[in-house]
This record gives sequence, structure tokens and C-alpha cells, in this order.
Amino acid sequence: MAHAHDSSSERPAILDKVRPAELPRSPLILNNRGFHWITDKVCGIVEEETPLWWKIMFGVALFVASFTFIGLGYLVSTGTGTWGLRSPVGWGWAIVNFVFWVGIGHAGTLISAILCLLRQKWRTSINRAAEAMTIFAVCCAGLFPLFHVGRVWFGWWLLPLPNQNGIWPQFRSPLEWDVFAVSTYFTVSTLFWYMGMIPDLGVIRDRATTWWRKAFYSLLAMGWRGGNRQWSNFEMAYLLLAGLSTPLVLSVHTIVSFDFAVSNVPGWHTTIFPPYFVAGAIFSGFAMVLTLMLPLRAIYRLHDVITQYHIDNMCKIILATGTMVGYAYATEFFIAAYSGNSFEKFAFVNRAFGQYWWAYWIMVSCNVITPQLFWFKKVRENHSLVWIICLFVNVGMWFERFVITVTSLANDYLPSSWGYYSPTIVDIFTFFGTFGFFSVLFLLFIRFLPLLPMAELKMVSPQADPHAH
Amino acid sequence: MSKKVFEHPVAQPGEPTGPSYWRSLEERNKSPEFRTRAEREFVEGASAITSVERREFLMLMGASFGLAGLGLAGCREPRNHTLPYAKQPENTIPGVATYYASSFPGEFANQPILVETHQHRPTKIEGNPSHRANGGASSKFAQASVLDMYDPDRAQASVAADGSVLSVAAVRAFVRGLATSAKANAGAGLAFLARPSTSPTRARLVAGLKAAYPKARWVEYTPVEQNSAERVLGARALPDYAKARRVLSLDRDFLGAHDTTVEDTRAYSSARRADTVEEAEKMTRLYVVESTFSLTGAAADHRLRASSSHISGLAILFAAEVLAKTSNAAASSLKGKVSGINVDAKWVTECVADLVAAKGEALIVAGDHLSADAHRAVFLANQVLGAAVKYVAAPSPSSLTIAALAAKPAETLVILGGNPAYDAPADVNFGAAIKAAKTVVRLGYHGASFDETSAAVKAAGGTFLASSHYLESWSDGRTLSGVYVPVQPMIDPLFATVTELDVLAPFAGSDKDAHALVRETFNSLSKDSSDEAFAAWLAEGVLAGTAFVAAKPAVGAEQIKAFAAPALSFDSLEVRLVPSVHSGDGQYANNGWLAEAPDPMSKTVWENVILVSPKFAAKLAIEPSEAFINKIGGEADFLHSGALNRNINQLVDGRLICRIATLTLGDKTVTGPLFIMPGMADFTVGLQLGFGRRVGGRVATRVPERLAGRTVGNGFDVYPFVSASESAVRTGVKLTLTGATVAVGNMQDHWSMEGRDIVREGNVEDLKKNENFAKLGIDGHAPAVYGKDGAMAPALKAITTPRGNSAYEHPAHSIAPNVAVWKGHESEFPALQQWGMSIDLNTCTGCNACVTACQSENNIPVVGREQVLKGRNMHWIRLDRYFFDGRAAAGNAIPEDPQVTFMGVACQHCETAPCETVCPANATVHDDQGLNTMAYNRCIGTRYCANNCPYKVRRFNFLDFNKRVDGHYYEGPLGPEKAVKDPADLPQLQKNPDVSVRMRGVMEKCTYCVQRIQEAKIQAKVRARNSADINVRDGVIQVACQQACPAGAIEFGDITDPKSRVAKAKASTRSYGALTYLNTRPRTTYQAKLRNLNLRMPGANLVPLSRVEMTGRESHGAPAHGAAPHGDTHAKPAHGAEHHAK
Repeated sequence: MAHAHDSSSERPAILDKVRPAELPRSPLILNNRGFHWITDKVCGIVEEETPLWWKIMFGVALFVASFTFIGLGYLVSTGTGTWGLRSPVGWGWAIVNFVFWVGIGHAGTLISAILCLLRQKWRTSINRAAEAMTIFAVCCAGLFPLFHVGRVWFGWWLLPLPNQNGIWPQFRSPLEWDVFAVSTYFTVSTLFWYMGMIPDLGVIRDRATTWWRKAFYSLLAMGWRGGNRQWSNFEMAYLLLAGLSTPLVLSVHTIVSFDFAVSNVPGWHTTIFPPYFVAGAIFSGFAMVLTLMLPLRAIYRLHDVITQYHIDNMCKIILATGTMVGYAYATEFFIAAYSGNSFEKFAFVNRAFGQYWWAYWIMVSCNVITPQLFWFKKVRENHSLVWIICLFVNVGMWFERFVITVTSLANDYLPSSWGYYSPTIVDIFTFFGTFGFFSVLFLLFIRFLPLLPMAELKMVSPQADPHAH
Repeated sequence: MSKKVFEHPVAQPGEPTGPSYWRSLEERNKSPEFRTRAEREFVEGASAITSVERREFLMLMGASFGLAGLGLAGCREPRNHTLPYAKQPENTIPGVATYYASSFPGEFANQPILVETHQHRPTKIEGNPSHRANGGASSKFAQASVLDMYDPDRAQASVAADGSVLSVAAVRAFVRGLATSAKANAGAGLAFLARPSTSPTRARLVAGLKAAYPKARWVEYTPVEQNSAERVLGARALPDYAKARRVLSLDRDFLGAHDTTVEDTRAYSSARRADTVEEAEKMTRLYVVESTFSLTGAAADHRLRASSSHISGLAILFAAEVLAKTSNAAASSLKGKVSGINVDAKWVTECVADLVAAKGEALIVAGDHLSADAHRAVFLANQVLGAAVKYVAAPSPSSLTIAALAAKPAETLVILGGNPAYDAPADVNFGAAIKAAKTVVRLGYHGASFDETSAAVKAAGGTFLASSHYLESWSDGRTLSGVYVPVQPMIDPLFATVTELDVLAPFAGSDKDAHALVRETFNSLSKDSSDEAFAAWLAEGVLAGTAFVAAKPAVGAEQIKAFAAPALSFDSLEVRLVPSVHSGDGQYANNGWLAEAPDPMSKTVWENVILVSPKFAAKLAIEPSEAFINKIGGEADFLHSGALNRNINQLVDGRLICRIATLTLGDKTVTGPLFIMPGMADFTVGLQLGFGRRVGGRVATRVPERLAGRTVGNGFDVYPFVSASESAVRTGVKLTLTGATVAVGNMQDHWSMEGRDIVREGNVEDLKKNENFAKLGIDGHAPAVYGKDGAMAPALKAITTPRGNSAYEHPAHSIAPNVAVWKGHESEFPALQQWGMSIDLNTCTGCNACVTACQSENNIPVVGREQVLKGRNMHWIRLDRYFFDGRAAAGNAIPEDPQVTFMGVACQHCETAPCETVCPANATVHDDQGLNTMAYNRCIGTRYCANNCPYKVRRFNFLDFNKRVDGHYYEGPLGPEKAVKDPADLPQLQKNPDVSVRMRGVMEKCTYCVQRIQEAKIQAKVRARNSADINVRDGVIQVACQQACPAGAIEFGDITDPKSRVAKAKASTRSYGALTYLNTRPRTTYQAKLRNLNLRMPGANLVPLSRVEMTGRESHGAPAHGAAPHGDTHAKPAHGAEHHAK
């Protein structure tokens, strides 16, 4: 990982003459923090006595999570009718929430895989938490498609299990692709996350003072000793998994978008969906990373490892993807008008000016307008503002899925069948509870697993490259 | 309900029995001790057991088994009730339905029916094809009547005055006692109140009663009279809509609201069938003058809005015009008799000119609420026109009225059927008559808890006699034209009930049972009174040669008195009272199928509404919040083509939120939700009878109130406005808004078709210019979806061009399977038949018979009002109703005088079905005969198929509608189950055993009645024996909707057989598929609607209004200036017509 000015011999002479000022790269770790500091900082989070705020938060999160599980219990025992669904709106909040959570689950793997391959070193400070966020978001997401079916106890029929009757799932259904795409994504992301954690788990194990901690972390560290061969294998495996995950980042949301794009519903049946969904997913994923990391940074005083540089980068990605999403909205309108298809035209005009106009304009203002504030450095440096904007983005992205799912279904081909969908309290509570469920998992993560990748942080710290200058 | 006493049947002499075993001497000696022991359901002390020990248990079980074996006479058919089969199978084969002929009793005419029974359990009503006038069709009321038999709220026992339960024998003894005691004073103080009936047996008994009790009074009452013309003319008019080429209906909803709707619709639609220009020119032209928007008005070619109270005068005006045109002397005097009517004179003159021009083939019919003079005038006009109407002598109805009965209360009052405590005119205090009587006897279908009259009788200390359903009774009746038809039982009465004939017989001095009485009547009416002839009559369901004899009514113009129209204004409105499409006059109020079959025009369900005209709504300052109709004509610009045009009755979150209004007439008020209905006469308020029951069953009353322990009827009661003299039209009514609003259950939010080319419509002039006018719209621009097979005949295409999307696509189905037996004979292998359907929008009247028939055939649950409000109705076929008004281009105005079309939409069985590819579980797949099938067992309920269905015909079981009780749906497993709450679970007995009952979480939809297809295929294969002739003959399969359709608008069959009726329908130039540009290739296609315009009429539009509304290049809509001016025959044809006329 060393950098060397090995090309000095080919330097143009002019450079020596003008002696340009060195463009300093922003250091990824500030205040000249050493390896030991990093180890202490990260392990300290796990090793310290459970802080009071954690206990309170955990209790609250458990309580909120119970909403989801009570809601699902009621749903399964009584029927899909406990939700607000009706003809013609067969998919409502459940699918909206599913796409929302899956979208959030994109940033993690993007950060860990694509940025890894692109050698974006700034990723190291945030990738562990982002990956955890991904996995937990996918857990939340997975609940919805599973439970939204009318007979959840037969959900396993979607798995291609050989049976006497020779009945297979319908391999041409995008929902079936979803089953594979999401489960693959979940598996690979979990592997990637866990594998990256192994050296750090070894460190925590070595520092453990009680027998149970030793046992627990020994098990997780899988005999990591930090030898050269292990490092070599680790690096190779990490690279391979990064390579494996990269297409998944694009494929999962592409396939989720196929749920819509492959159908013939006006407003769903558009070829722009895959790139637009992926951009939206990255957009919402980064917003969620910032939403989580900014408070953590403050609580654990991680200002030296999660620097303004990191925050700047993430804000810029949000700005870029948010603009892409806005461009996609405009393109949809253009294509609808250009297609000459009255049903398409209607679907988009109806989105903006029909019975759900409010949802559309919430979406546009949150997703397109608010991120534009990130053009300003002052805004990016005001972390409270960044956090609020990220919340807006999250809200906006939820509404984007709502607009796509519900407005298209509510008014499709035959006006005789048009209807209006609104959620019930069960819908609302079930969704609300997933934030609790997510928080439970995330709180457990920060309490028991290394929040930051110590080994990788050390690699990018100035000390790791003593010959750099 | 008391415990049933088990009487062990004793074999009759000569009856085949098994060997008679006996197990003890007591049994052999038939000792009384043994009999008592044997007749106990459980052994003595069985219920007293507290702890069961092994020995006791064995003892009890042994005894139970012993008792179970006591029916030792062997297995036999039920005795005394063997009935001839209408379709004769060799034996009763379990699983094979048996059909018996019967008739659905009406007050004016019986409807001949066939009843499908499964092991003697009636499950479905179908029309009797032996009666040609009905041709196998039936009305929704007849269809739904089978559910009434399994009404869990029906009275299950008779109750004496002291509250004790009466057995059937006790009831008979009681009635005999009544008859004997009344004998003393020749029936003085004895009065009977009954509903009108067509039964000759009842008429015979009533005659006998009148003879035996000369002082007794016999009164018949019905809230909705259907024979007023008969009273005036002394003869019944039988208009022949099939022969008439010009029909003028004066406020007579012959397609909607009569006992004879089926016959009339069938005749009328037969004259509306047209494919070629020549046929179209011969098509009937229908003129309608009416105040509310009825089905007849919807079918009209020219419709004139007029207040009902003026239409009696209009009838005289029309007659005068007819007489004038035929230079009849009486004309001028007649014309002068009418005053106070403001009408478009051109409408009258042009209409009459058209009628006169079609002399001999023109017909005028008048509504039953019109005045006697109106009927006289119409008769005169028809005489002059040589109208296709026959007059026959029908039995005259009773002359005594309910008002007379109430004015002089009887000492002994016998109320046979009906519900006078609810539906008697408001100025007749019938409750007092009940109270005044010393002895009141009430024969009713619902007991005191579920019926106003039964409750009043109970309160007055009367006797309640539980009535049998007509499917459990012997009786008879006559059709409209007087054909003698049976009413025969399908099953022993489910409960201890009696019939009207049972009650009347003792009074007529007969001790015979109903069966014997009917037989007597039969003997007197039939030339051949042998047992064989009787059996043949029962089997056939009609008795040939029994029609009423012709009559010659005589009416003179001088009989017609002067008519002064009442002045109407927004402060002095007119109320038009019509029977509800859901509950009739209230008698079907507890029928869930009918409650949930939407009103064809307003699409409301489960309740009634106050219909008002748009003009009046504007007066009340109810303005639509959005433009009702798109910009008419011209190129639609991008931003305007999509403006949402909602039902202007406020829709809030998809719910129809109506303002509540109070109507005041004198001291009577009626309060209900206001519904703005285009097409209403300006000063008319439409009200439907039959709602707001004060005491009613579980369907008739509202669930939330019922759960709270109160009884509040669905809808509101409008009987306060019915008076003894004026029962259908009242004037001088004032309407005020209360300021409150209420959500009303409705099944279609939308009025407009949004300029989309869904319903295609043309008129005869249009057809002449371009026979292919139906092939317009976006489909015209869509790429050929059949590739190189585009030019192929549809039938051939169906079997060659790849189709279906099942993962299990059958191997090429027209090729012999690769087995040895077919070697060398491949060409003989019959290609599989390909099923398809065609729906003729031109003949469909929107009567809902198909909806109810489908519900009955396919075990479709009733979801209840609350679930309808949530948009979860389960109907597999729905009738979409669209309003068109090309004339009203003004921004937010509600169209006052639109046209209407209906479109029946069920699963279209797309060859490339969008639902199939998206189902991850593979639960909906294509079969090799073109059916889009649904494997309920495989469905996990992702609802993706429903989302992807462009026709929105898939229905999802959101809750356990079949298992749980309405009002407890949300309690999940903690709520009561139907079977537990109601151990008998009567409605479950109606279920068709050939169709699965779906559980919650499962998607369902129209299957093309796959069970009927399978049955026909099995029969065809049985018949084929060793031959390869296994094809089902055309017409053998009749799907439920097709079978019921009185208009014959639905054809179903093999589309690969060019001779089949469906293939011919599909070959029609009017044939088109809905949304075919999506490449769905639907197997159900439509035949475009045709209107037969008289271009000289005011308001005649050369371009059909639906097309005027279509905008943009997709739809090839109207020319930019929209509708043609009045009677302008030079108007430009539609752009679409030019474009496609190649």
C-alpha cells in the first residue's frame, strides 16, 4: 500500500522551474493518531461498560420493534385485509417499505466493494458501519415481501425445491428473481462484512479480559493470528469478494426495479427504472450512512477518523445521485410525452397533479431540491444541517417508492376500476416498528462488534506509509 | 329451535326394503317402552354424565351405535317426493347435478326456471329454456332466490300466541280450528291480506273461500303495482318488442323493473342484433321519456327527460300527435285537454312522425304509475299505429284495497306473506288494524326478530306461521302470457314450515295437501289429466296451450279527461319512487347477493340514495371540484389529457362521501344521502323503496349497529312518501341539506371513460360509412401482434400461433401424441377446442343477472358493506358503466343529459396473459384450450397478477370472507366462525360442490366456468365411445353469465369452429378486443355498441358521444367541433372513420 514518487526521473523540467506548491491530499486520519490510538478507540467502544444511553436506546428500540412483530402477527392471523390494500392497489406500504429498505442497503456494499476496487481509501472509516447497516436494512426489507403475501406459511414455495409434482416456481416472474437477488445480496454482503471483521475480532479477542468474551470472540475470530500467509489470503479473499459484490450492487436494485419495469402497468413499464433505481438506492443509502454516522461520530468522538473530508465526499455523492434521480424524473415525463401513449402520459401527469399530487411533490422537493444545498461548502460543514438534509432524503426516497407503487396502480387502464389507497394503522405501525428492529440490530452491532475497521484504518493512516514524503 | 324428534320411517306396503332384523323381543313386539327408548336421540342419562369411565364410555358408545343401526328398513329414496327429472340421468349420480323444472313466483308473472340440485340440495337457479319467451334466461332476483332459502334468519318454527312452538300438525289443526270457528257467522269479521299471485290453485282456493265465507274479505296488496293498464283496459297488454321496429316507452322501465323483464329484454334485444348495414337499418329504435335514469333510458336511442308527474299528460300529447298524423278526428280535442307541460315540441313531432312512418311496427308502452287516461291514450295510439301488442284476458286482481281493510279492521286477520307493517302506504295505519284484530295470524318467511309485520303480530299476541320457501313448496302459476307453470319442491322443507296453500285449503273446504291441490288444478287446466301428463308438465315446466285468451278492450277518446300538469320547481319537487334494484320493495332486503349487486346506474350497494339532477345540485351549490369531462374535441394537450375526472359526488380517499338531505312532504320527512345523477329530470328526485328496515335480518340491517345490539336498517325508508292513492309519484316535495355527510358504499368511482377507447360505439349512419368503425384507436397503430400470422383467420391463429405463457406449455396440441395407436392416423386426431367469449355491448342492458348468476355458480362470497367501502368486492364479472356527454364542453358543469353504456368485464383469458408471467408461484397458468386457469391451492397471494392485469378482474380474498362473519372479520382467529356461530350454517348449503370455496390470501377470478366445460367434455367423451368425435357441440357449454343473460349478449364456445356462434360473433365487423395494443390477445372480445338514431330528432349526434369524448391521436376521436348540430346530416364523419375506411 505504499506510495512512492518513482516517476521523478520523468518529471517535466518545467515543474522544477515553477516549483508548484504541493497539492496536499487530505489526511484520512487527523491529529497524527497512531496505531495504538486506533486500537484503543475502536476496542474501547466494545470493551467499555455499557453506557446508559445505549441501554435506554436499546429499550426504546426493542419497544418500537415490537410494533412490527405485533403487526405481523395480527396480519398473519387475520389476513391481508388488516392492511389498507384494495382493488386495484394490490401493493401498498409493504412493497414501498421493501424497496425503501433495500435501497438503503445499497450504500454498504457500494462503499465496501466498488470503492475498494476504485481504491477510494476514505471508505475505510465508514465501510464497517455501512455494511452493517446494509445487512440490517436488508433484514428489515426482507420482512415485507415475505409477509405481504396472502398465505405466508407457503412462502417457501418460492424456493425451487424439487418435488413429486414437478411444480417449480415461475422463473419468469420478477418476484422470483427478487428471491434470488435479495438472498444472494444478503449472503454475499454478510460474508463480506464478516470476513472483513476477522482481523479486528482477533484484536478484541486478544484484549479480552473475561473468559466469556474470550470464548465469544475466539469463536468469531476463527483462529486469526495475523500471520503473513493469513494476511495474504485475507487480502486476496477480500478482493475477490469485492469483485463478486460489485455486480450485486447494481443487480439487486435493478431486479427490484424489474418488479415494476417488467409489468405492463403505465408508470411502471419503463426502461429507465434499473439505472434510476440504482442511483436512487445509492442516494438513499449514503443519506442513511450519514444519518447514522454523524451521531456516532459525535458520541464516540471519532472526529479524527471520520473527518470533514469523509463527510464532504458523501455529501457530494448524495448531490450527484440526487441530481441523477431528478434527471430521471424529468426523463420519465419526457418519454411519456414523446411516446404518444395516452396511458403513459396520463400516468405521469396523474402522479404530479392527480389525487396523490402531495406525495409527488414531497418526493421532488426532498430528493431533487434539498440535496442541491450540498453545492455549498458551508452547508457540508454544518453537520446538523447535513443530518437534517439526509433525513429529508430518506423521507423523499420513501415517497419516491410510494409514488411509483401506488399512483401507478390506483389509476391504470380502465377508469371504472380506479380507486384510492390509504394505509391502515397496522400498515403504519408495522413500518414504524422496522426502525426499531433496525436499531436493535445496529445497537447490538456497535456494542459487540468493531464499529470501525481497525486494520484497514491503520493501513491508510500516515504511519502506515512512513516513506510517503 | 327445539330438538328434532327422530321418527324412524316405516316402510310402506309394497316398498322394497332390506330384511327386517330385530335385536330384542321388545323391538319385535313393538313395545311402547322400546319405542320411547328408540326415539330418544341419546340414551337416558347421557347428558347427566359428569365423569366418563371406560366402562361407561363403552356402554354409551355401544348404545349409540345400536341406535344408529335402528333404521333397519334399508336405504331408500325419500318417500312420496320423487320428482321427474328435467334432464334425465339414469340415476342420481353423486357429483352429478340434477335439474328440476319449477317457476319463480312473481306477483304479476311467474318466471319459469330450472333448479340445479346436488343430491336434492338446490344450489342454482337457471331459466327454463322450454319457455321460449325466456329462452333459459333469468333475472337476478330469480338467481338470488336460492340464497333466500338458506337465509339463516328465516323463521324455523311456527309460534303460537302464547309463545309455544307449533309443529306442522299443530299448525294445520290450528288453521282448521280457525276455519271451523269462522264458519258460524259466514266469515263476518274475517279478513285475509295477501300479496297478488299468479297461482290458479290459489285463485281456486280463494274462490272457494269466498263461497264458503261470503262475508269474509280477501284483500291483495303490493306496494309496487305492475298491472295498472290492466285495471283500466280490462285486459292485459302483451307488447311484442321483438316485432316492433320503433318503440316509445313512456316512463316504463321494461328492461329493468318488472316481473317480465326477462321476457321483455329477450324480445327487445333480439330486435337489436345487427351486424350488417341492412340488419342495422332494421334494428329497433327506442325512444324513452322518463324522469330518472333507468336501464331502459340507458338503452334508448333518444331519451327525453321529463318529470314523471307530467308524463301522463305527455302520453296524451303523444297520442294526440299520433292521431293527428293519421288524420283522426279525435286528435284536436285530445291535444287541447293537456295543459301545463313544457316540452320540446320537435321531440314529440319527430318521434311521432317516425312511429307513424313505421306503422304496423311501432309500439308505445306506458309505465304502471301513469294515470288511467294515459293508459287509454296509449291504447288509442297503439290501435291507430297497429302496434305489435296483443290484448289478453287475465284474471282480474282483487278489488278491495289495504286502505279499505285498515279503515274497517277485521276481528280475525290473516296476513299471508308480504310485510304490510313495513310497506303499507303511510296514510294507511295498518299497525292499528293489527292491534284492533282479536285474532291475528301471520304467515311469514321471517319471524318476529327479523320482520316488521311478524314483530307487530307478536306484539298484538297473534300467531306466527313459518312459511316455506318456494323451492320447498308445491304450487303453480302463470307466466305473463298465461302459460301454466308448476312450482315444485326440490327438497323437503328444511324446517317445520307450511305454505300459503296449506293455510287456505281448510277455508276453501279442502283437506288436501298442496300437491293434491295443484294436481286438481292441473286436471282442470290440462286436456290430458293422466299421471303421465302431470309428470310431463313437471318435467317440462310449462303446459303447452294454456295461454290467456285474446281480449278486445274498447276505449274511446272521449273517456280521456283534461290533464293539468302540476307546477314543479326547485321548491316544489317531484319524487319518483321505484323499487330498489337490491331489495325490490323490501322483500329481498335480507339477500346478500342482491345487496351487493351494484345499482347499474349509480353503482351504489347495500343502501339507497336520493337521486337529484345536476341542475338541482348546482342550485344547492354543489359544484364539482374538478372538470367533469375533458376538453372535448381537438388535440388534447399533454397537461390536460390526464386531468382526473372523478365522480362529482365528493370522493374523499376513494370513498363516496354524500351530503345528507331531508325531503319534506306535508308532515312526512325522509332523510338520506344525496347522489347527483346525470340524466335526471330537473325537478325530479329519485327514491328507491325497500330499505331502512326497522326490523330486519343480518343483511337488511347495518353491522356496526347490530354489533352494538341495535337494529338499524341499511339505507333509509321511503315508504312514508307512499300514499294509498299515489304510490309511485308525489309532488310538492321540498329538499334541504342537513350539512352532514356520510360514506356510501359504491363499486365504481368513475363516471367518464377518460377519452379512452374502451367502449366502442357507433350508430347506424356511422356503420354505413365505415363498417369497421370499431377497429379504432390505439390498436390501429399498434404493431401487428401476430407476426406473419396477422392475416390468418382468428380460429386458425388460436391453434397455430404460439400463445399462453405457462411454463408447462403443452406440446403442440393439434398434433397427435407420439403413441403407437395414432400411427398412420395422425390426421384423425382431433385438434383441441379453443374456448372464447364474445360480449355484445349492443344488446347488453346492464341488468346484473350475469353478476348474480356468477356469484351463485362460483361460490363468490358476499363481503358486506364495510368491505365494499374498502374496495374489496369479489364479483368475478362487473358491469362498468360510463357516461358520455359530448355536448357539454363547459368546464366544470355536470352533464345533464348524458348517454350511458355498460360493459361487462370478467377475466378476458388473454392468450398471452400478463398475470401468468408475473406469478412467482406458478399458480396461474394457461391450459391447452386457451383458459387462463387459477390453481387456488398453489396461490400464495402476492397479488402481482392483479396488479399486472390491465382489465383489473382479479379478486383477492383480503379476509376470510367465507369462513368468518361480517362484522367480525378483523377479530381474526378470536372472532366467531360462521360454522360455529351458526351451527346449521345454512348459506353454506347453497355452495356449488363443483367449485372450490377459497380461503383468505388467495386470488380468484373468472374461470369461464371451467367446471361446466369439464362436465361437457366428460359427457362428450362418454358419448364418443370409440370414435374420435370428442368435441363438445356448440351450445352445450353455457357459462353461468351467458346462461342467465336475458339479452343473449354473451356467446361462449369453440372459436376454432367457424360455425360456432361465438366464432360468428367474433367475425362480426363490430368485434374488437379491449386494450389489445398490450398484446394480451384476449379470448373475450366485444361487439361494439350501435345506436339507431333518428337524425331528425333534436340532439341527434352523428358521431357517437363516446367517440366525441375520445381525444388525441390514440383514439381517433371526434372532429374538432365535436357533436353535430341538431339534425345536421351533413356533419363530418369522425376522423377515425375516414382513416380506417379502406
